[in-house]
Amino acid sequence: MSTYESGTTFVSLFYALIKAAQVYDLGNDVVQHGAQRFVHFLNTLLNLYSHIEIIRYRDYIFFNKQRLRFQIDGYASLQFLHERMKHLKIRNLVFKPGVEKEEIIIFASLFKDEDSFLKEYDRKKFHHVCVEFSTGDEEIPEFLRDSERIKRTYFKALAVTKNLLQNLWTRQPANVSSSRRIVYNLIDSLSHDEFGLLALTTIKNFDEYTYNHSLNVGVFSLALGQRIGLSKKDLAQVGTAGLLHDIGKVSIDKDIIYKDGKLTENEWEAVKLHSQFGVEQILQTRGLDETGLVSMAVCYQHHWNVDGTGYPRRKGTEKPFLFSKIVRICDSYDAMTTARVYQPIPYLPHIALRVLWQLRHICFDPVLVKVFIQLSGLYPLGSCLEMSTGDVALVLRQNPGHFSLPIVKIVLDKNQGPIEGPTIDLSVDKHVYIKKPVYPQKYDINPAEFFMKSPAGDSEVKIA
Amino acid sequence: MPTSETSVESLIQSLVKSVRAIQIYGLSHPSAKGFYTRFYHQLSGFLSEDAELTLQIEQSSILCNGETVYHEDEKDNNLAFRLFRDGIRTILFSEGITFDELLLFLETVGTAGKDQDIALGLWDCYFDHIEFYVVEEEEQEAQYGPPKMIKMNIDYDQKLKEILEKERIRLDKNIDLELSDDEINELKAEMLIKQKIRPVTRAITTLIDFLHYQKSDDIIKSLIELLEECVVNGLFYDARRIVHKLNQYPDVDAVKRFENEETIIGFSNTVNTASEPVFNEFVAFAGFFSKKSVPFLIRLLGAVKHPNRAIALRNRIASICDQDLELLRPLLSNQDADVLINTIGIIGLSRSQEIPSMLEPLCSHPNHKIRVAVVSALAQCEDTPRITQFIDDPHPDVRIKALGVLSEIGYTRIYMKVLDRIKQKKFRSLELVEQKEYFNYLLHNGGKFLVNDLKKILFKRTFFRGKDYSPLRKLAALSLARVNSKDARQVLLAGIGRRNRDIRQACEQALKKT
Repeated sequence: MSTYESGTTFVSLFYALIKAAQVYDLGNDVVQHGAQRFVHFLNTLLNLYSHIEIIRYRDYIFFNKQRLRFQIDGYASLQFLHERMKHLKIRNLVFKPGVEKEEIIIFASLFKDEDSFLKEYDRKKFHHVCVEFSTGDEEIPEFLRDSERIKRTYFKALAVTKNLLQNLWTRQPANVSSSRRIVYNLIDSLSHDEFGLLALTTIKNFDEYTYNHSLNVGVFSLALGQRIGLSKKDLAQVGTAGLLHDIGKVSIDKDIIYKDGKLTENEWEAVKLHSQFGVEQILQTRGLDETGLVSMAVCYQHHWNVDGTGYPRRKGTEKPFLFSKIVRICDSYDAMTTARVYQPIPYLPHIALRVLWQLRHICFDPVLVKVFIQLSGLYPLGSCLEMSTGDVALVLRQNPGHFSLPIVKIVLDKNQGPIEGPTIDLSVDKHVYIKKPVYPQKYDINPAEFFMKSPAGDSEVKIA
Repeated sequence: MPTSETSVESLIQSLVKSVRAIQIYGLSHPSAKGFYTRFYHQLSGFLSEDAELTLQIEQSSILCNGETVYHEDEKDNNLAFRLFRDGIRTILFSEGITFDELLLFLETVGTAGKDQDIALGLWDCYFDHIEFYVVEEEEQEAQYGPPKMIKMNIDYDQKLKEILEKERIRLDKNIDLELSDDEINELKAEMLIKQKIRPVTRAITTLIDFLHYQKSDDIIKSLIELLEECVVNGLFYDARRIVHKLNQYPDVDAVKRFENEETIIGFSNTVNTASEPVFNEFVAFAGFFSKKSVPFLIRLLGAVKHPNRAIALRNRIASICDQDLELLRPLLSNQDADVLINTIGIIGLSRSQEIPSMLEPLCSHPNHKIRVAVVSALAQCEDTPRITQFIDDPHPDVRIKALGVLSEIGYTRIYMKVLDRIKQKKFRSLELVEQKEYFNYLLHNGGKFLVNDLKKILFKRTFFRGKDYSPLRKLAALSLARVNSKDARQVLLAGIGRRNRDIRQACEQALKKT
């Protein structure tokens, strides 16, 4: 069993035990049986590891340094543990060899509420279970200091994407292995810090829309794919497909692509051909390897709607396949939220999500839309918010399980003066709430600049 | 089992030796095998105690827990440098690693050429128990600063209102993000479908769809490449879809590349070992072949072991021939009996009136199997006079075949001849199977006298109980049972009352079958 599998099993058994201890008397068979299973599994692990450490850092749970991902299977148990640890201000839990059933039952029973935990934990004197509480300043665990790596990966990916598309535009040979390498690197970055990488998608360069957009769709597709539990191989395919989905635009007259103004009907028909041109481009650049074949199908289908409409027109009743539906959502979201020549004022992220929601069943797969909104939260990273206090904040990170209550960073005070304000977890601090999302331009705030300093506000995390 | 730093050192020595041995001798060489097998056992032993082994990669060294466990200053043949150069900074082996997984790792590292990216090679392996941490070069980052934000001189709040109105969005409307069990199952089902359909199948659909709107030489070229891949991998359904589409273009001959002896005979394995659906798809795919492939397909037919599959393929070849018997004429002088038999069979399927004259020279072929094939072919064009000649053939198989086809066709002209033969004493020396075929003929061709004729055979007086006549009584009785008319049953009932035990037994057995 891998560390990851051990971690998810550990969390689900611990979750079952805590739940049982909350509902039944501690002597009840359900609790006893749950404790027995947990201790048995724990002891199996302790034969392999010197100790078991569960760390909560930001929105993540780590099991012996391995980050456990929020996926469909095991979502409830992981979310519960995260919530409880956060609520009880627990930074980490350490289980040492020698844990007995009785000790673990008492420990699990403490998770009922904050008061009893804090009081009882000190009183009971546990010998084989240690708890470390947060002090407010959340120090980044040593093994997590990889925000620099994420930034480097993102910009390398951007450079490679730009290089690839520019070469195709000028009919020069494209470096395919570089694009393969960056997709793998993005997958690794994502598995380490999903939000860190997603935060960088707020970089929306007006002048280089095509490159940024391609990369962002790739990143969103990877993140959505990871959320639904795709294998690494599938992730590599969907990520590449996301990256290459608009590759066909290099075959369209640049004057049309960058036209400043509304397209004529003929021009629009020409733009619509990019799905077909993309197929040819992928064949030329990727050849017929498996990822290339998948990317080709996605490229062709990425404007197909789930109700059978869209372009290019379908010959039969074929439906878009899973990866095309993923890229369809990510493409639309990023396109809506990005300023372009013919859309100088983009949609605010939360409005774009509402559009996705409204058009589920018509354009988008409804289940995937839900997962996408779960991933981004109702106020995605970088959203600019006017708060009930009159301050202006940026969404710093999502709160798993609290899709409308993100963690925000105050960037402007009531008088609209820039401040190095506190970070507020809106799921914890009930006195502050979102008044309304606004355009960051209104306050001269550039979310991308903020996240460029540190993805997802790495060094800024000081919960108020 | 190794647990200390020094033992990690020996473990890394073992890793390095394994990689070098693979580089020098190749994976299958006994020396290399010895090294990597030993390394696998050492590593498994280590991981069973420590669960994980994390190695930090530096330019000239490999470290474990901050201690150098490998160092090499030379850049050539330096494992650390090769890994470092491609951006690999950490490698983690975890418990549960399989021999195959480790072998794949060593092979990827050991056989990568100087220009090959090891990190990419390792990523392509999708390991379960080996993780690695790769960094990218820093130089690119410097080119990018934070993008400028374009602020326009507009009322952003008003713009927001307009968008909400345009999209008819009500922000107070609740969004339920909980996934129901049905939705989760739907998603899982979709993921299963994704796994079931091969990327190549989906890509073919895409390319065919593409061609529906626009002809593209690149797409056609790719489809031809995919066609080859499909044929090699036994994906004949996809192959058929491609050929079907490409046949719309007169200037494209998609199957030409397969219409040679080597390729077609190469399907011998497919026709015998492929599953029934794959075989059927192959036969359907073969339908796209042109007439020039017929001689090779006939040779392939000779290799088909399963009779039903042979029939299916023979029918397909016949449809390719499309009545063109001249195509097959040269094959009638082929020395290979299988080729000859299959050619005759296919000629027969044409049902052409030319068959008798074409096959005339083969009617006296020394090989009785050829003569059997000739009878079958003649049966297709119902050339009964010629078939009748074969009931006097020296070989029983030929005679049986001839009587069989005459029975099926319904040729009454030789009824009396057949009846006479049954009555002759030498008939009793024939094999039972041939005797049966005679009675079978009577059954199919006998008219109103049939019951009476059979009755006479059944009740014939014999001397000394005529033991060798007993089988004829049984066959006559069974034939009466098959006639199963009122008269026939009366004959059988009368037979039960006979004193002759053979007659009684034959009638009793036959009546059970009525």
